[in-house]
Amino acid sequence: MNGGPLSRLLRRVRGVRSRDDERFLLLHLPASLTLLLVILAMLGVFIAYSIPVISREGFHVFTDTTWRAVEGDPQAEWYGLLPAIYGSVYTSLIAVLIAAPLSVSLAVALEELTPRRLRGSLSLLTDLMAATPTIIYGLWGLAFLAPHMYPILSWLSSHASWIPLFSKHPSSGYTIATAGVLLAVMSTPFAAAVIREAYSMIPLSIREAAYSLGATRLEVIRILLGMVKPSIVAGLALAFARAVGETVAVSLVIGNSMTITPSVTDSGVTVSSLIASQFGNAGFYHYMTSALFAGGLVIFAIGLAVNVAAVWYMKKWEEKVMGVAP
Amino acid sequence: MTGYALEVRDLRVTLSGKRILDGVSFRCPEATVTAVMGPSGTGKSTMLRAINRLLDLNPEAIVEGDILIHGRSVWEMEPYEVRRRATMVFQDPNPFPHMSIYDNVAVGPRLHGLARSKRELDEIVRWALERAMLWDEVKDRLGDPPSKLSGGQRQRLSLARALAVKPEILLLDEPTANVDPVNAVKIEEAIRSLVREEGITVVFVTHMPSQAVRVSDYLVFLYDGHVVEQGPSREVALNPSNPLTEKFFRGEL
Ligand SMILES: Nc1ncnc2c1ncn2[C@@H]1O[C@H](COP(=O)(O)OP(=O)(O)OP(=O)(O)O)[C@@H](O)[C@H]1O
Ligand SMILES: [Mg+2]
Repeated sequence: MNGGPLSRLLRRVRGVRSRDDERFLLLHLPASLTLLLVILAMLGVFIAYSIPVISREGFHVFTDTTWRAVEGDPQAEWYGLLPAIYGSVYTSLIAVLIAAPLSVSLAVALEELTPRRLRGSLSLLTDLMAATPTIIYGLWGLAFLAPHMYPILSWLSSHASWIPLFSKHPSSGYTIATAGVLLAVMSTPFAAAVIREAYSMIPLSIREAAYSLGATRLEVIRILLGMVKPSIVAGLALAFARAVGETVAVSLVIGNSMTITPSVTDSGVTVSSLIASQFGNAGFYHYMTSALFAGGLVIFAIGLAVNVAAVWYMKKWEEKVMGVAP
Repeated sequence: MTGYALEVRDLRVTLSGKRILDGVSFRCPEATVTAVMGPSGTGKSTMLRAINRLLDLNPEAIVEGDILIHGRSVWEMEPYEVRRRATMVFQDPNPFPHMSIYDNVAVGPRLHGLARSKRELDEIVRWALERAMLWDEVKDRLGDPPSKLSGGQRQRLSLARALAVKPEILLLDEPTANVDPVNAVKIEEAIRSLVREEGITVVFVTHMPSQAVRVSDYLVFLYDGHVVEQGPSREVALNPSNPLTEKFFRGEL
């Protein structure tokens, strides 16, 4: 049976060779389609709920910095999401910058330096770190990290205030930097798991090739890390997505002020933390719920963009390395 | 100085509690090819990995005996120095898949700071690729990944990569086992001219007696972890003194 349009379509999908492949795909098609529909439906809801604020403010809802909530007077309300969007991207970038060396070192340490006996329990520990509810991280950040970061940030802002990063003297430990560090701690286990998985799959023959050129252990690690570059990118994209989407933990440590500042020693806000802190009373206002949904839409778009970029990079890499014609 | 590039003295190797090599001794004069031949599973690969201390990486390996490179014991050197002076080419081609053809060859010289400029590095890369008889086929596409090469070309790339660190000794583990006859001939030719023109000392492991005789000056017949017979290739081939060697030559082992 070569004729059906569906089977012709399936054949065009890369890698479908046999009837077994076809059956496998057919079996999974309903599930995949359902998932796709659910995501599209979610997106539809977000778009529908965003329409009121967008039709009133236009694109300004994404580019404006004012956040004015007035009860009983819809005409006076005005919502600008830019500080929150800025904060989301900024804290997540900080998180990824910190998580990058941390997760790579963690992955390498587990694979290269940990004796086989300890590997199991240590990797269990990192899995546990990944599975820990984020509110636990939030409370830890609130009670421990923020107070301990405060003196460090104060010192930086008094001794290095000429660097824009530390220009603002912090009034407390609840800052963009604290949120970034906390997000880094939270997302490192995820990125590390992805990197480690890829690293452990490197064939022994490649490892031996590197050693037999007279490379030291460190040099071998560097060569092998080059081989898992796409997985490092994927892991960090995952970390970024997780950081952008994180809600409770961030809102507990970021200070929640609607400002745009380069200074990491200042407090800030993210879209997620804004939604978490404002959604409860958004019902008192005419447009706020809609504005928060518009914020959700933005995070959705950012997350999607980062993932698409990561997938694109990996595809390029594969083409380059595997020699597949583009 | 002993006049030998490589001396293996009473080498005994245990892997995971199993004795693999039991008292292997032989010597390789400088700029010669010594073929180590023997049936599958006799410990040929293990022997090469012991010589350049790759077995150090295996926590289950116990290596005893002495190995001298130009008179100096490998146990007195850092493992990475041993491996640089005695590089290895493996049974299966294993170029680094994520590096271009050029970078695969350049990675060794870069590690060891063998080139002071891009031009010097280019020269080393070219020299190594020419020596591996691959240059003409890849000179216009040095930026390509190794995946665009055939299996035989990949194996010659592995050879070029090993040569680029300017080793004194080349350890070849059945370098033509997974390669078509044309490529096998090219590799054998490359090896012979390396020895003749560059003075490199080669240990050539193979399970094919015909190849062993063809490529080598000296023969070592390894069987079940022991050296059964060794000597100048012609003598051993024409006049094997041990019945096992004779059987091996007749293809009965
Ligand atoms: N890591 C290891 N742990 C335990 N035993 C091993 C290990 N590696 C190899 N062996 C055993 O050591 C013996 C010799 O293996 P080796 O690979 O050195 O043989 P070989 O002569 O190279 O064979 P071939 O011609 O098939 O490549 C074999 O019996 C093999 O099963
Ligand atoms: Mg072998």
